[in-house]
Formats: sequence, structure tokens, C-alpha cells
Amino acid sequence: MSDAVVRIQGVAKVYQRDSQAVPVLENIDLEVAPGESVAMMGPSGSGKTTLLNLIAGIDRPTRGSVEVAGRALAGMSERELAKFRARHIGFIFQLYNLIPVLTAFENVELPLLLTSLSKADRRKHVMTALDVVGLTDRVAHYPRQLSGGQEQRVAIARAIVTDPTILLADEPTGDLDKRSEEEVLILLKRLNREFKKAIVMVTHDPKAAAMASRTVHLEKGELVPA
Amino acid sequence: MKFLRLIVRNALRNKLRTGLTVGGTAFLMFVLLFIRTALTEMEAWEGEAAKHDRIAIQHSSGLANPLPIELENFLRGDEVSKHGYQLQKMNWFGGWWQDPRNWFANLAVDHPIHRELWNEQKIPDDVQARWAEVKSGAIVGKALADKFGWKVNQKISLLSNLYPCVPELDIVGLFTVPSDIRQEQQLYFRWDYLDELMGGRKIVGTYWMNARSSADIPKLKEIIDGHTKNSSDPTETVTEKEFAAQFMAMMGNIKFFVYFIVVGVLAIMTLMTANTVAMSARERVTEIAVLRTLGFTKGRILYLVMAEGLLLSLVGMVIPLGGALLLFNVWKLSPNPQWFPFFFIAPGTIALAVGAALASGLLAAVVPATMSARRKIVDGLRQVV
Repeated sequence: MSDAVVRIQGVAKVYQRDSQAVPVLENIDLEVAPGESVAMMGPSGSGKTTLLNLIAGIDRPTRGSVEVAGRALAGMSERELAKFRARHIGFIFQLYNLIPVLTAFENVELPLLLTSLSKADRRKHVMTALDVVGLTDRVAHYPRQLSGGQEQRVAIARAIVTDPTILLADEPTGDLDKRSEEEVLILLKRLNREFKKAIVMVTHDPKAAAMASRTVHLEKGELVPA
Repeated sequence: MKFLRLIVRNALRNKLRTGLTVGGTAFLMFVLLFIRTALTEMEAWEGEAAKHDRIAIQHSSGLANPLPIELENFLRGDEVSKHGYQLQKMNWFGGWWQDPRNWFANLAVDHPIHRELWNEQKIPDDVQARWAEVKSGAIVGKALADKFGWKVNQKISLLSNLYPCVPELDIVGLFTVPSDIRQEQQLYFRWDYLDELMGGRKIVGTYWMNARSSADIPKLKEIIDGHTKNSSDPTETVTEKEFAAQFMAMMGNIKFFVYFIVVGVLAIMTLMTANTVAMSARERVTEIAVLRTLGFTKGRILYLVMAEGLLLSLVGMVIPLGGALLLFNVWKLSPNPQWFPFFFIAPGTIALAVGAALASGLLAAVVPATMSARRKIVDGLRQVV
């Protein structure tokens, strides 16, 4: 798997809580191939979100190396990491995390404001992303005017609008009702199968994990066989 | 500009809080503009006076004490004339027209030399000629005439608490002062007419003259004050600027208090804006972490939060500045027409307001902006607000 989208080797993460060292991840090795979708499961506190954050480049490992899209994240400055995230990472949060003062359109447009695209081009990209998630009729709606499922679909549109290399989802269905959960899972599956997006998803939900092409299990900071 | 929408929406997120902050800032900014303009107006003569080489000879015990008429002969003598010329007697009449509220600057002067000595006042030849003909003649600044609706040839009488007489004056003409319109708020009438009304008592308030050059001023002070030193009426010779400064000094250390208030106003403005920006940023810890996850750099976050502070501050400046310009510069209102016949918001004061708003906005936002930008993304995402 020399062309892996994600390559994690010997990664450990230790948090310092006052004088206490709290190990969260230990000796993690993981590769994700292009177009692959990986579900990460495990009990709370097993280090799933921490691992996802390391892949996203929003946290740094204590030991080991993380390569995403062929680039080692360890050597990058904060500024380079920010640019890297803007270009390669699409992040989907459990609680959607839309900006409440912006409309659906404006929320999806946010990552594009960091590019040199013209206003017209940005509009085209945003409408395409909203079309993919089936929300072109909600462009002018504010998050408070949308259901949870719709909010998460807007968040997915925001994650894909820059056509990132990989989508990272942290319990994307964790706050949704059954119907919305199904809609979001179908959408993620479509992004993976139809648009060939690599996806790494943290989940507790076996249904969500079933959508993935592979499932890895974390327990007490270590990858364990299923 | 791409981010303006986000900045504005964030600033308006809590409309009541933002409204109160902008309202408070606007009020304080209005106070600042008002105080600064009042000070500028009070200092205006001092600034204008510095441009000339005129000197005033006054009683060393103060302006309330008259000087002897005999001093005029000495001042016209060779010793003084080598260094100064265009001598003029001037008495502050301190009168009003019809009603004490119509108080303004009115002075009795030696009319023949007036136009040459006060050459910034533009007095037409025919007006000067008529003034010479009419003993009860008075020349009036155009702005003052406009204010009271006076016309040339109109007869007006002045009342004063300083002199037991009522000059019946004939307005022989108007003068303008293009370099400083404030000086058009004055009326001059003839010293010999006042003296006649006073029964020829030869009361002289001050003597004025032009030094031949600024280098001659110390010499004039030395000669004149030296001559009167041991007399019953010792003099104090001062430059016009020093003369003007005496009036500011009469008000005590007013400048210090004014600047103290200005600094206090700026500090309160900054703290108010800082409080609002800090609260707003604190409420958005998770959102800021999300923005950084999307690829916003620390610098971009710093810029967004700083811009928010700046926006609040600038809006809080534009509203009172616009209002003040409308009230004082366009509608020409004055908070106290006697003390401030003109109350212009000067370009320097506008620059001060803009500078103060910029500085206050940036200063207010720098701490919350830095804290927002520096917070670790994972800590921000974990935060529950």
C-alpha cells in the first residue's frame, strides 16, 4: 500500500494532566488506501477521536509518524498544517458545528473563502456540494431553521466543497434520529462509492460501521483484532 | 472583504450587547469630540496670536487696572520707536446688545492705526474712511453682524457693567478675517468716543503695538517694563500669544483636567469594547476551533476577532462624529454662543476621533484575539460553552 492516503506508524499520544502523564494512544500502525472507508470503533476513552485528530493535523503525536496524502505532518508548521487541512481534509463533527450566524450556503462557502476562487466559482462549488447532499432548497436557511439531519448534511457539504483527499467523521450519526442517521450514512456511502472519497469514521454505531469497507477496533489506546 | 459578512454577523450576534457597547462608545466619543472642540476653540486665539509680532502693554497688577495716558508719550518716543511702531490704545468695553445674553467682544480702539496693526482684519477703504468721519462709528465683524442681523448704518447701543455709559454706535461697515473667522465675532468703536462719554478721563486699558521684528520683542519688554518699574503703575509687556494664554490661565489648569477626562474617556471606551469582544470570543471558542479545523490560520483568526473590535469601535465613532458635524459644522449650533460663538469640529479633532477609535478598537481586541488564535484546536473542540 505504497500509495496510502493515511499512513500511521508507531504513533503514541500522551496527554499531560497537571503532573500526571495520561497515555491515550500506544504504538498505533494504520494505513488507509485511496477510496477506502474505515470505521474506527471502541469504547469511550479508547483514543478514537484522538487518532482522528492526529490524522486531521489538529493535534500532534508524542511519538511516531503520521502521513496524510503523502505528506508527513510532523515537520509542518502551524500555518502549513492549516493550509494542508484546507486542501486535503474534510472534517465532519458529531454536533455538526455549523456557524449559527451564517446560512447553509455561507457555511458551505467558508472553506472556499481561503482559496483564490472568484465569487461566481465559489457559488458554483457550493451549489454543487449542496446538490450532492440534497439541500439546494435550503441555501438561505440558518442552522436553527434546519433539522439535525439537514444540519449534518450541510456540514458534509462543507466538508466536501473543497474536494478534499480524505473525509474524517467523528461520530457523524451520534446525535441524529434513526431516519436522519440513515440519510447521512447513505450519503457517506455514496461519497465513498460514487465519488471515491477515502473516509475514516469514528463511530459507536454498528450500522455505521457496516457501511465501511473495513472496521478497526481501539481499546485502551491500542488497535486490537476485531 | 470576503470575510466582512462573517465579521459583521459575529458583531451583531448579540444585538443588545453590541447595541449597548456601540451606544456607550458613541456617547463617550461625543463627549471626547465636545471636550476637544471646546479646548480647540479656547486655544484658537493663542494659536492665531503666535503668527504675529504684536505686543500688549498691560498693568502688572492685571487687566482690571488702567494704565496712565502719560505712558503714551513715552511709547511714542525714540527709544521705543526704534523697536516698535503702530501704537494703539485699546479698552475692553465688555458690553452687550439689548440683553446680557447677547454678550460679545467689543473694544474701544484708536481707529487711525487699527487697520495697519490688525492687518489680518480686512477693512475696506471706504469703511475705514467713514470710521474716520463718524466719531460714534463702529466696525463690525461680518459673522457678528450676520448673527444679530445688523446692517450698515444701523444704530446700536451697548450696555456694560464695566463703564457707566451707553455708547450709541453707528455701524459704518463690516470687516472680514479670512484667516480666522472667529475674529469676525468682534466689534470695534473709537477710543476717543468712549473717552468723550466718560468725560475725558483718559482711561487706557492696554496699549498695543507691533514689534519691528520678533527679535525686538525682548528689547521692548526690557525698555517699557524697565521704564515703569518704579512708578505707581508698573507694566507688564507681553506678546499677543502670552496675552491670549492669560485667559486660558484664568481658568486654572483646565488643559490638564480636559486631557485627564479625554484619557479617561478613551480608557472606558477601550474597556467597554474589550469586554464585549472578549465575551463574544469566549462564546465562540468551539466555532473558532472549527474554523481552524477548516484551515483558518491563527493569523486569520486574529484578524477576524481584531476586525470585530475595530468594527464596534469605528461604528461607535462614526455615529457621534456624523452627529457632531451635522450639529456644529453644518447647522452651526453652539453649546454656548457667548463662550463659543463658533464651535467647529476641526480636522485635527476628526483625526483624533478616528485615531482614538482605531487605537481603542485594536487595543480592546488584541487580548481576546490573541487568546482565541492561540488556543489549541482540540481544546476548543472539547470546550462546552
